[in-house]
Amino acid sequence: MDKKKNMLSKKTAKLRGWIQAAATLLTNIHIPNLFQGKIYQGNAKTVCVPGLNCYSCPAAAGACPIGAFQAVIGSSKFKFSYYITGFFILFGVTLGRFICGFLCPFGWFQDLLHKIPGKKFSTARLKPLRYLKYIILIVFVILLPMLATNSIGMGDPFFCKYICPQGVLEGAIPLSIGNAAIRSALGKLFSFKCIILISVVVLSILFYRPFCKWICPLGAVYSLFNKVSLLNITVDNSKCVGCGKCSEVCKMDVDVRKTPDHPECIRCGACIKACPKDAVCYQFMGRSCQKQDNR
Amino acid sequence: MKTKLSFISILTLCITLSLTACGGKQTAATDPKDTQTTTATEASDSRLDDLYQQENQLFADHADAWNKVFAMMDKSDADPNGNYADYLADTVESNKTSFTDDELKTLTEDIESIRKIDEEIAEIEQKNSLSDNSSQKDNSESASVFSNFSGQDFDGNTVDSSLFSGNAVTVVNFWFTGCKPCVAELSKLNELNDTIRSMGGEVIGINTETFDENKDAIKEAASVLESQGAKYRNISIDSSSAAGKYASEIMAFPTTILVDRNGNIVGDPMLGGIDNKDNYDALMEQIQSVIAADSTNK
Repeated sequence: MDKKKNMLSKKTAKLRGWIQAAATLLTNIHIPNLFQGKIYQGNAKTVCVPGLNCYSCPAAAGACPIGAFQAVIGSSKFKFSYYITGFFILFGVTLGRFICGFLCPFGWFQDLLHKIPGKKFSTARLKPLRYLKYIILIVFVILLPMLATNSIGMGDPFFCKYICPQGVLEGAIPLSIGNAAIRSALGKLFSFKCIILISVVVLSILFYRPFCKWICPLGAVYSLFNKVSLLNITVDNSKCVGCGKCSEVCKMDVDVRKTPDHPECIRCGACIKACPKDAVCYQFMGRSCQKQDNR
Repeated sequence: MKTKLSFISILTLCITLSLTACGGKQTAATDPKDTQTTTATEASDSRLDDLYQQENQLFADHADAWNKVFAMMDKSDADPNGNYADYLADTVESNKTSFTDDELKTLTEDIESIRKIDEEIAEIEQKNSLSDNSSQKDNSESASVFSNFSGQDFDGNTVDSSLFSGNAVTVVNFWFTGCKPCVAELSKLNELNDTIRSMGGEVIGINTETFDENKDAIKEAASVLESQGAKYRNISIDSSSAAGKYASEIMAFPTTILVDRNGNIVGDPMLGGIDNKDNYDALMEQIQSVIAADSTNK
């Protein structure tokens, strides 16, 4: 049984690329819209997808949680976005940052970019930058849309408008290609955000997931739940020989043995694959290799 | 393991490349689609100019002989739809005796060259008129959007396409209540309405949330309009109508279009608020040109 569980963990980790591809496809299922420059506006758009995926992507199946959160907070009718906060808690408590590692299309995009061969740099020395994403969450996603409003209480979705590179990649670029009217309206803001996107692309080639580590407010939300989420990673201390391989392979700079549920862990499973003693594995609702072992 | 690694990296590379390739192809496919017809006509226009130049050059090269021919021409005979080369040949033929052999030779050679040039001109003109027809077809599609227009203003009065026929130009602004940039330009639209009323124009608002006489949405939109001091008419339309379908295709708000007296959409839709001065000036210029066109048509 123990072996089986661990096999399952390893298999999941190995299949990660395919799961990411499938999740991206499901999140953006309305492919024909891409060529028409039209946004799908059906009922599914009232529900959030787990990952960072622009509502304005013509193919998008659902709404972006961060975009929806700002839209509600910034509207004159509502003070706070309880509905979307519910989504955050639901996704956060069940999966946590497993979403970043397995389900987020922009995470996959950065993973693919990082596979481009070339010199790679470690982000271990840049750890303080991790806190930037919490500042972005508080300032651009919550405070500015809530407080910087016009006379009738409407705010801008500041993160979407001024920062989000996913919005340019999935929203602005395909929409402007498929829709002449939108193309004619592109201006300085579009150029500015293209520069952000290009910077993220270049940084993603050099570093592993710079956007997730330093900028993403959705990752910041899910990271708060990482310690309590039903799905997490455990290390079986009776098996661990302390070789340190897990921490060595971790691209999110987590010390796996000390803090397997660190807020930065995106559950990519690199440590599970690397462990020579099969001591690291996923667990869901406390069911893990370790517990099976105790029986 | 190594083969797998290289397989993965090749796969990734393929995906990234195909993504970028698709992107590139799309740009290439769509961008030129718009410009293609214009560049094609531009190219054929310059070719036409070129051909006319060639003909004139022939006349200029042998100016002595040709001036003689032109002097002999009976202008009442000239048939604009007939073949120009035939006409020239006839003139030369009927006055054969007044030319020297040399002159006759150059004239007949020139006439043959002109005949060839004319054939090419005719071909290009035919092509151009075909593409003109196709673009006219597009226009007629956009014209039908407001041909059977009906709706209700926020006070419950019904309106129909007489809404458009009463004005030289109608500025139709599509917006929705939760759209901040839309709300930001409402006061400016009201200003615009006041300005163009005296010129024979009117501003109309169509709020996409108020479709199908949605009472709550109308109430909300009305209060937003009031808060911004906007007094021009806003119309609630049916989402299933042609205008409703046109509005549901709009992917960016605010969008403003101009409609002439006959219910035809004039020019391209304008995206973005007119609280931006460049947008206001561009729109005003378009409005004036529609009004000018309207007064010449009368």
